Amino acid sequence: MRYLRFLLPILLVVGWEAASWIISNPFILPSLTTVIPILLHPFSPEFTLGTGSMVENAGISIQRVGMGFLVAAAVAIPLGILMGRSNLFNDFFDSIIELLRPIPPLAWVPLALAWFKIGLTSIVFIIFIGAFFPILLNTVDGVKSVKKTWLEVATTLGAKERQIMIKVILPGAAPTIWTGLRVGFGIAWMCVVAAEWLPGISQGLGYLILYAYNFGQTNLIIAGMIVIGVIGLLIDFVFKRVERRWFSWRGLER
Amino acid sequence: MKFTSVCAIVGMLLCAALIAGCTSPAPQSGTLQPTTSASGGSVIVMYAKGTGPMPTLLGTDQIDGYIAWQPFVEVPPMAGIGKVLVYSGDLPPEGKWKDHPCCVFTATQGMISENPDLANAMTAALILSTHYLEEHPEESAEITADWLAGKGNFTYGDISVSSVDVLQRAFPTVKFVNEPSEGWMDSNIEFVYALRELEVLTGSLKNSTDADSKAILFDTGPYYAAQSMIDAGKIVAPSPVKDPVGLGYLMSDHHAALFVAINKWQYFNDTFGIAIKPRDLSASRPDTADLIVAGKPVAELKLISGDAGPQLMQLMATDNIQFALVGNPPAISAADKGTPVKIIMAINSEGSGVVVAEDSPATDWNSFVAWAKERSAAGKPLKIAAPGKGSIQDVMIRYSLEASGLSVKEG
Repeated sequence: MRYLRFLLPILLVVGWEAASWIISNPFILPSLTTVIPILLHPFSPEFTLGTGSMVENAGISIQRVGMGFLVAAAVAIPLGILMGRSNLFNDFFDSIIELLRPIPPLAWVPLALAWFKIGLTSIVFIIFIGAFFPILLNTVDGVKSVKKTWLEVATTLGAKERQIMIKVILPGAAPTIWTGLRVGFGIAWMCVVAAEWLPGISQGLGYLILYAYNFGQTNLIIAGMIVIGVIGLLIDFVFKRVERRWFSWRGLER
Repeated sequence: MKFTSVCAIVGMLLCAALIAGCTSPAPQSGTLQPTTSASGGSVIVMYAKGTGPMPTLLGTDQIDGYIAWQPFVEVPPMAGIGKVLVYSGDLPPEGKWKDHPCCVFTATQGMISENPDLANAMTAALILSTHYLEEHPEESAEITADWLAGKGNFTYGDISVSSVDVLQRAFPTVKFVNEPSEGWMDSNIEFVYALRELEVLTGSLKNSTDADSKAILFDTGPYYAAQSMIDAGKIVAPSPVKDPVGLGYLMSDHHAALFVAINKWQYFNDTFGIAIKPRDLSASRPDTADLIVAGKPVAELKLISGDAGPQLMQLMATDNIQFALVGNPPAISAADKGTPVKIIMAINSEGSGVVVAEDSPATDWNSFVAWAKERSAAGKPLKIAAPGKGSIQDVMIRYSLEASGLSVKEG
């Protein structure tokens, strides 16, 4: 039954085309015949209302999301390790983090513009907000859930804090941190539309979707959504592969 | 101390959330309430936050029509979902909206007072390109189609329309003018009245006399300085500025003067010694350019497109941009709230229009009014979308509806 996973997508495609034929309103559901040509010409700037080719737009979005994600990881992982390791740090940061966490990245847009001005920094900030919390919380969780017995053994054998950190905590927490990165990237990628809603942007998949809206180009909107979905899927696949390759011990150990 | 800082942050973030999520707390729609108004019926005006959702709302029968700026008036006819009822210059009462002011060129007060030569040069560049697009409408429409849509096609089901054709159709409905004459300023002041009535003005323009309003809103100095430089055939080169200068605009053919100035930079450079040269010469829609006077770059320009005027004014208030092409009501509201913005000159007049659904019985304004009254009497008042409360389009459609004996509800 390994081909079963392809059944639903095929049914969806057939159902979509049938539905679009019955509804016959391109604003509700454009026919696949108007969406597919856009996807088949990823290098042509002809279909994207002057924003450059689909590949160009995707490249720019990946770059922005990648930067926001890396900044988030660079802040969240060290902070998470500190919080997981020290109750003092945890108590100090915990309340403010729980307060900020539920705020959707979109809500930060006005402040982002006022603080960081138009440009890459504001975009990276919005993505950062999206990716930061899952990475942080998973890191804290990962560090906290490192087995007490391992820590005790290391301490009894005379390991210093530095050694415990590098030899025990980091490897022990790595699978959970990796899950945090994977979830964080997923959310960062979801924020691409919110981030590219900022003014002063003229390219990117999120911008493309919002701009196509002005002209009622639902087919282009759907093509953009599909590209966002496929890229998200591919990146998640890479994360999962790495997880299986390097972190499968966690499953064995339980 | 920790608690107070938490409180401060909570307060700040709540503000941000409010701004992002709830900018227009519009009252609930009264779609199913039968009207008891003696005026002969009512029409619901709803705000779409820019033009973005309008074609989709009309295409999915959620609204009966909309009023928007070009080229979005031309979208429904080409998509087969609507027809143009009336262009804004012909809205009733007759003659009222002929040559109505629309977009204006604005700069921050700081820019005009601290860098007058730069403000004058920017103004001159736009005046020159306005002349050009008056003389070359077809080429200018094509340049605009390239800027707005990369000269690509729009696809609606089986229909595919060239953006160049759309812009060729939209262009003649916009009048490209610059002169900030007394009469033009007076008609801008009429928007001050209208915005007062909508209770949008709460600051310095709430109770000001007309003379004070003009003093608050306008600084036409750069226009006259630019005009005399053009007449003398020599543009004074501003001393180069280090920091990039932000110039905001909207994705509309109203702002074709900017697109043409940039696309034809070589021509303006060779002919007048002033040009806005894009950094990326191959881009349909460049976002960085240099202002070049007498062969020397004097300022790096960041070209910032916004969704609608209020957003651009917000950017001006936070000094993200120093120049903006924007509709006059956003500029008026911003000046009222203390944003240091000055209107230098006009960019265009007219250039908006009302569209109604394809199956609407209305063919002109009178039949539209009859349709609206009929629907209102049946308890299903018409729903017309406008870009935002207090926008030019909102002010005009309200005025015209009320002048035709219909009352307006927000929904």
